[in-house]
Amino acid sequence: MGGLLGLSLLLQHGTTLAAESASAEELLATRCVACHQAEGNDKYSRISHQRKTPEGWLMTIARMQTAHDVPLTDEERRTLVKYLADKQGMAPSETADYRYALERRLNQQETLMEDPQLGEMCVRCHSGGRIAMQGRTEQEWHHLVNFHLGHWPALEYQALSRDRDWLNIALNETVPHLAKRFPLESEAWFKWMEQRPSAESLASRWVFRGHYTGKGEVAGSMTAKYVGDDRFELELDGRYANGELFTGSGTALLHNGHEWRANVDIDGTILRQVFSVVDNEMNGRMFEREHDERGLDFHAVAEAAPTLLAVQPGYVKVGQEQELTLIGSGLNGTPQLGEGIEVLKVLDSSANRMQVQVRVAADAPVGVREVAVGQANGTTLAVYRQISEVRVVPDYAVARIGGNGSPTEKVEGRFDAEAWGIGEDGKTPYRIGFVPATWSVEPFDDEADRLEDVKFAGVMDRETGVFIPGDAGPNPERPMMANNVGNLKVLATVDQGGQVVTGEGQMIVGVQRWVIPPIP
Amino acid sequence: MKHLKAINNKAHTLEQAVAQDRVEEVLAMNATVGCTSTVDPGWETDVFGGVTGLCQPMEADLYGCADPCWWPAQVPDLMSTHPDWNKGASDSSQDWRKLDTVFPSDK
Repeated sequence: MGGLLGLSLLLQHGTTLAAESASAEELLATRCVACHQAEGNDKYSRISHQRKTPEGWLMTIARMQTAHDVPLTDEERRTLVKYLADKQGMAPSETADYRYALERRLNQQETLMEDPQLGEMCVRCHSGGRIAMQGRTEQEWHHLVNFHLGHWPALEYQALSRDRDWLNIALNETVPHLAKRFPLESEAWFKWMEQRPSAESLASRWVFRGHYTGKGEVAGSMTAKYVGDDRFELELDGRYANGELFTGSGTALLHNGHEWRANVDIDGTILRQVFSVVDNEMNGRMFEREHDERGLDFHAVAEAAPTLLAVQPGYVKVGQEQELTLIGSGLNGTPQLGEGIEVLKVLDSSANRMQVQVRVAADAPVGVREVAVGQANGTTLAVYRQISEVRVVPDYAVARIGGNGSPTEKVEGRFDAEAWGIGEDGKTPYRIGFVPATWSVEPFDDEADRLEDVKFAGVMDRETGVFIPGDAGPNPERPMMANNVGNLKVLATVDQGGQVVTGEGQMIVGVQRWVIPPIP
Repeated sequence: MKHLKAINNKAHTLEQAVAQDRVEEVLAMNATVGCTSTVDPGWETDVFGGVTGLCQPMEADLYGCADPCWWPAQVPDLMSTHPDWNKGASDSSQDWRKLDTVFPSDK
């Protein structure tokens, strides 16, 4: 009876705390403790022996809600994610190589597959980044293997399990390997905890540049006003190279001194920012919340010391006149664009943006050169005579069918044409930049031709390189009522006054994916 | 293989791959982030990196694979984590429009 009374008081207490917005310590001590044993000093079994990114903690806590019915409001879950991501997060250097997984760059092909302990185990289902952006004790990695076997027993009879002594290898080889490579305690983490900056110090006007695949170059400024509790109010004021505006407002939350997460409303569409902010530089990706394949690479510097962030476009052709936009902070003085490039006219000039008309001499040396405006430097400009090669980026991509009355959205294929030239030495290739191209798709092989994948799998926009996949569902017009899947060549053609250069990539048009966690 | 005889297209393709010594190619194949490299059968690509060897249309036998959680990181597993995912959609070939994504947003 006393026990029941105690439980009832505890539940009431819990309810009261929720109404007053409970602290993370209170939530841990009242909700999580139902299963996780208190170890004293605000530590709990399992929870306190792992480190993760904010998304990693979100996924763990969301799984506790789905699989174990943990009662948490959205606000309480945010409170817990913030607390754990700050207290048991990852140092910038520990996530640097894997941020593509947080930034939803889902066409990345991971080199982690070369580590057989990951490639043949974890990466059969997950991104390697998901594993690599965690730190755990050996016992915790051990628990994770057992947990997988209990929840998804089929993994023991998939290929690379049924054909070998899987459990023994997982527990006795993979677990020690993971514990050593991705440990709970690392020098990088301890060092970062000592040096991580306060959120307030990031309140600034940031000058940014980006490349929005399918739309082109973007540049502008973002004002981040600190409003307390590691939160910011944001105002974005930018534009595309064609003059179209890229403006909006939103809010940001900083986790762990560098993990910047924001939602910004641009013309009625919510874009999410996933950046790492280190040494007054923001790097990451900004993408549509509901269509994460649509987005831009984002690079920003705090408006402090003079910096030249970008020249747009980032290339000029010899023997031509061209307009260039220089983006940065503290831009003051004449642009120094190097040998063979003469500034004919300054069309517009401010501390953040300068537009100039230039003439490139016919004999200007080709290649990539560093450029500056007064004291501001930090970026490059490519000079070319001829495009010798076009590469399709990404060279391998997965799009997905969707829609057709279902709630699962299509995942578009989005491509850029990257031009390359040959340097003055006649042999060294150098990157010119993303150039306009004419886009098309073809069957990847004979099978794709026979099954008419080009007809069914979707439509490529000739101008933008954006591929809209076909509708979801069985298609009665295809043999066996197959889905509108396909295996396609992606072709980017650049015509330089009669001389045609074509780049080629591959796109798999696959079926829907229903499990869409923040870290795949 | 000498006691087994291929009787359908997929088996013929596998036989050809063995004959052409392409098995190593299969093992070396990379998947992109978020795609499973479990390809027996595969979800995004088949064992040769194409789509012709996939179970098609996937709706024909979707739950036969989702029940025993064959690709649980891509398709909700009905066994442990999402037992109610296909509630009200008992025939996947007819009811596939009712199937929704399962992961909550960051809110």
